Amino acid sequence: MNALFLVIMVISIGILTVVSPDSILGIMIDGGKSALELSLKLTAIYSVWLAILKIVEKTGLDKKIVSLFEPVVDFMYKDENNRAKAYISMNMTANLLGMGGAATPLGIKAVSEMNRDANKRTATTNMIMFFVINATSLQFIPATVIALRAAAGSSAPSDILMPNIIASVLSAGTGFLIVRIISSIKKKREV
Amino acid sequence: MANFILPFLIIFLFIYAAFKRIRVYDSFIEGIKDALHLVYSIFPYLAAIFIMVSLFRISGLSGFLTKILEKPLAFFGIPSELTELILLRPFSGNGSLLILEDIYTKYTPDSYIARAASVIVGSSDTAFYVAAVYFSESKVIKLRYAIPAALIANFVGIIASCILCRFM
Repeated sequence: MNALFLVIMVISIGILTVVSPDSILGIMIDGGKSALELSLKLTAIYSVWLAILKIVEKTGLDKKIVSLFEPVVDFMYKDENNRAKAYISMNMTANLLGMGGAATPLGIKAVSEMNRDANKRTATTNMIMFFVINATSLQFIPATVIALRAAAGSSAPSDILMPNIIASVLSAGTGFLIVRIISSIKKKREV
Repeated sequence: MANFILPFLIIFLFIYAAFKRIRVYDSFIEGIKDALHLVYSIFPYLAAIFIMVSLFRISGLSGFLTKILEKPLAFFGIPSELTELILLRPFSGNGSLLILEDIYTKYTPDSYIARAASVIVGSSDTAFYVAAVYFSESKVIKLRYAIPAALIANFVGIIASCILCRFM
């Protein structure tokens, strides 16, 4: 990330210095402004979801959700602690139900819990697996895209559902396999 | 029907909590404090990515890379109209939605290009953004092979989207 950031920043600012040097600061501040606008939106969304989540945790309902997903979670994430498993399960639930706003805060909490025991600065295989699954999108119903297509006047806005589900499964499956293969190669080397 | 599920679940949760003698209001406040803390820790990552994407697009660097990538992507069966979308998708969710809308107006929403673009956006996610946000609260800084793995997986999804939309 550091190398990529450096390269993109230097080249972009370099180009702009030649083309229009006066615009650079404005463009950067605009970027910051959109980050701030998004943060405000996220604060609202997370406030609602994390408030609900807090009540779920206090009632102990989260443990029931975990037992529902335990076989899948145990298959995908080896030797994970219970609190992390709870967040992973709830993140999966939120993703599958199409509640993207709830999935992100749950995902952040899952990753911090995964690190609680190890407290390392390097990502564990479980973290990478969890990240890759989330970064390939588990959301089977692309609500935003369907809404945009409908707004643009499509005659059948949701006819992309089937290819979307197949493409989602293929990309998540590929991610799962990549992480599994790399981690097993690493394990063999260590033995 | 589906519209009723979520409100029903929330009502059930509140009543269930009250039965268990949980202070619902106090817990609600605690949750919102968590939310503020969360946004506080992800904001620096958000701002850095947004500033970078803003420069990347307006400087013309993204347009330049789009031109370069057209040929190699065509090799995988990806039409050149989709190159910019694919290039920006891992960085910016809002940016890719804007490009998607442009594609809808340019090629009509029911064309092959528009449908393939929809599936690409729907079946992938912003890998760099997700990485920044998901790891923001943990002390992890070395992500090892996480981002390349996610990018390759999403690329497989993109190729699949372009093929699937030809006959589905």
